[in-house]
Amino acid sequence: MASVPWEDELTKRLQDQFGDRILEFSTYLGQNFLVARPEAVIPIIEHLKLEAGFDYLVDVTAVDYPQRPERFDLVYILYSFSRNERVRIKTRIAEGATPPSATGVHLTANWLEREVYDMFGIRFAGHPNMQRILLPEEWQGHPLRKDYPITRQDDRWVQENLGIESAQ
Amino acid sequence: MAEATFLDSTELVLNMGPQHPSPHGVRRVILKLDGEKVLGADCVIGYLHRGVEKIGENRTYQQFTPYVDRMDYVAAVSNGLGYCLAVEKLLNIEAPPRAQAVRVILTELNRIASHLVWLGTHALDIGALTPVFYCFREREEVLTVFENYCGARLTTHAFRIGGLQYELYDGFEEQVKAFCDMFLAKVDEYEELLTGNRIWIGRLKGVGILTAEECKAYGVTGPLLRAAGVKWDIRKAQPYSGYDQYEFDIPTGENGDTFDRYKVRLEEMRQSVRIIRQAVDRIPEGPIMGKVPKVIKPPVGEAYVSIEAPKGELGYFVVSDGSPQPYRVRVRPPSFINLQAVDKMVRGGLVADVVAVIGTIDIVLGEVDR
Amino acid sequence: MRKFFRTVFLVDLLKGLRVTFRYQHPKHICTEQYPAQRPRIGERYRGAPRLNTNPETGETLCIACNLCALACPENLIVVGSERNEQTRRKELTTFTYDTSRCMFCGLCEDACPVDALELTQDFEIATYSREGQIWDRQMLEEGPKPTPYEC
Ligand code: SF4
Ligand code: SF4
Repeated sequence: MASVPWEDELTKRLQDQFGDRILEFSTYLGQNFLVARPEAVIPIIEHLKLEAGFDYLVDVTAVDYPQRPERFDLVYILYSFSRNERVRIKTRIAEGATPPSATGVHLTANWLEREVYDMFGIRFAGHPNMQRILLPEEWQGHPLRKDYPITRQDDRWVQENLGIESAQ
Repeated sequence: MAEATFLDSTELVLNMGPQHPSPHGVRRVILKLDGEKVLGADCVIGYLHRGVEKIGENRTYQQFTPYVDRMDYVAAVSNGLGYCLAVEKLLNIEAPPRAQAVRVILTELNRIASHLVWLGTHALDIGALTPVFYCFREREEVLTVFENYCGARLTTHAFRIGGLQYELYDGFEEQVKAFCDMFLAKVDEYEELLTGNRIWIGRLKGVGILTAEECKAYGVTGPLLRAAGVKWDIRKAQPYSGYDQYEFDIPTGENGDTFDRYKVRLEEMRQSVRIIRQAVDRIPEGPIMGKVPKVIKPPVGEAYVSIEAPKGELGYFVVSDGSPQPYRVRVRPPSFINLQAVDKMVRGGLVADVVAVIGTIDIVLGEVDR
Repeated sequence: MRKFFRTVFLVDLLKGLRVTFRYQHPKHICTEQYPAQRPRIGERYRGAPRLNTNPETGETLCIACNLCALACPENLIVVGSERNEQTRRKELTTFTYDTSRCMFCGLCEDACPVDALELTQDFEIATYSREGQIWDRQMLEEGPKPTPYEC
């Protein structure tokens, strides 16, 4: 089953507002998503929140595709209580890019973006506290990148802080 | 400039944790205090980080199922259900009706068990020593059902992708029904112990208020959101696993304070019993396992599926690249996101209320840190 | 007025205490006296692994197909086999099972086509050293021998 185009009054409104900054509207397995240019993501989220009632940011996450020039997929999942609908917003960003933070629109984004930074090394511009959240601050590497093997650990950190040769 | 005297307020930074009896796990809260007043709280988490999402990328779809139980270990069945539903969505299949009914029964039993752990430990934090014994006594009955059904009590691994592995054992219906009959009276007993108790009311009323607007802004879901008056439950809003066939109410509160959350959770346990009773009476006959290939290779694509776990919205975002291993498994943990609101809830309150507030969110650190 | 009466006479506390005292009767005791009293274990309990043998001949049921090792998420089963030149069949030589890494999920026993590997109701598998947690074929066939508790 391939994804099919998604069209309703919401997409029409978004299309009018953002034009070619939204690359694709699709539905896969009954779930709507749209692909947008990185700079348009925060305005879209804001527009959806204020105009369409998508007032709950469910999740922010990323997916790593190391072979692609724009290495990461950044995924935002939104939900609207009034419409009982979910929408996924995806965007592609290159390594080293600093997408703007969504904390100004949804407070939830604070920790979620910190986690994305921790796991993928994507820094968000304008985030109030861009620090690691789950791993220790001095840890080297970002574990959910595909080039980080599952058995890798930061040996130096382990030896210095835990006083053991290896944690494995 | 006048010299500072001891009467001047000075900010005091207090570390609560990582080893502290109240949060039932390892995490640290850095409190900024002005005397008894809390000016802000900062959570330091990650002590239990095991990299569950990374493990998921390195296991096949079936092999990852036992790991999800280890995130929210007091509600392992719900975790398993969410993951199985997500992969089933990717495969575009549905579990057979019999499997769905059994899934509902077990998840609701698990919700009761999870709320009982919460109630017992929360009361213990506040200083009521007795309820914890009673709560765990009843939880034991639930765990016995799990043990008889799938052979494990805590990390159950009860569901498989596509359905169930185990057929019901003889006497399952009777045991579950007996539990339901016994349990409602016990909930009334907890109420007798706590609801009217003046200390309990004094410690909980008006503490850690989150309004509906704040809940939405912080992405807080589950009983916390319902206590703020939002009638929202994924089981009703976007039913899964056949929840639309059962009749139940969504309890809500008014003030969004700690006491309302307590009332909401107690009522949820009663509603769970209601669902279980309906489900046990009409478990359909039929197969328990859908048509699932031996090696699961979902087509390329991604899906986000969420369920109403005892703690809030538990979502799985699974990306498939057509291989037997998921390309990416993202878990949207309710505890992690609800915990974020702690700063908002304790600000302006008293130090002693911090424990009550942390308890009321019902976090499991295994899920916060994954 | 009613409220005042309730406050002065501690009605709420007495109500709670009534529940507590109702459970003082010995028939409400539900604590299990382990180890003096054996706990009731579910029939399907997933505990210590066992490699089943044919009860008549004492030969192992395992056909060395390696499916359990492939199913295990933790990769802790190692099956050693050797081709028997006469019967042209694979025969089991060694079997190691690292219980220290096992999470008793049951995927291996589900995968076994001949029900040779089984998770049993034995739950007393703690040892004093990590080495003792790696079970070989003999240990798996005989099962753990916990020290019985004298009381
Ligand atoms: S029970 Fe699970 S973890 Fe243990 S050996 Fe079997 S498959 Fe592996
Ligand atoms: S799956 Fe069963 S028969 Fe095959 S190697 Fe393992 S124990 Fe032996």
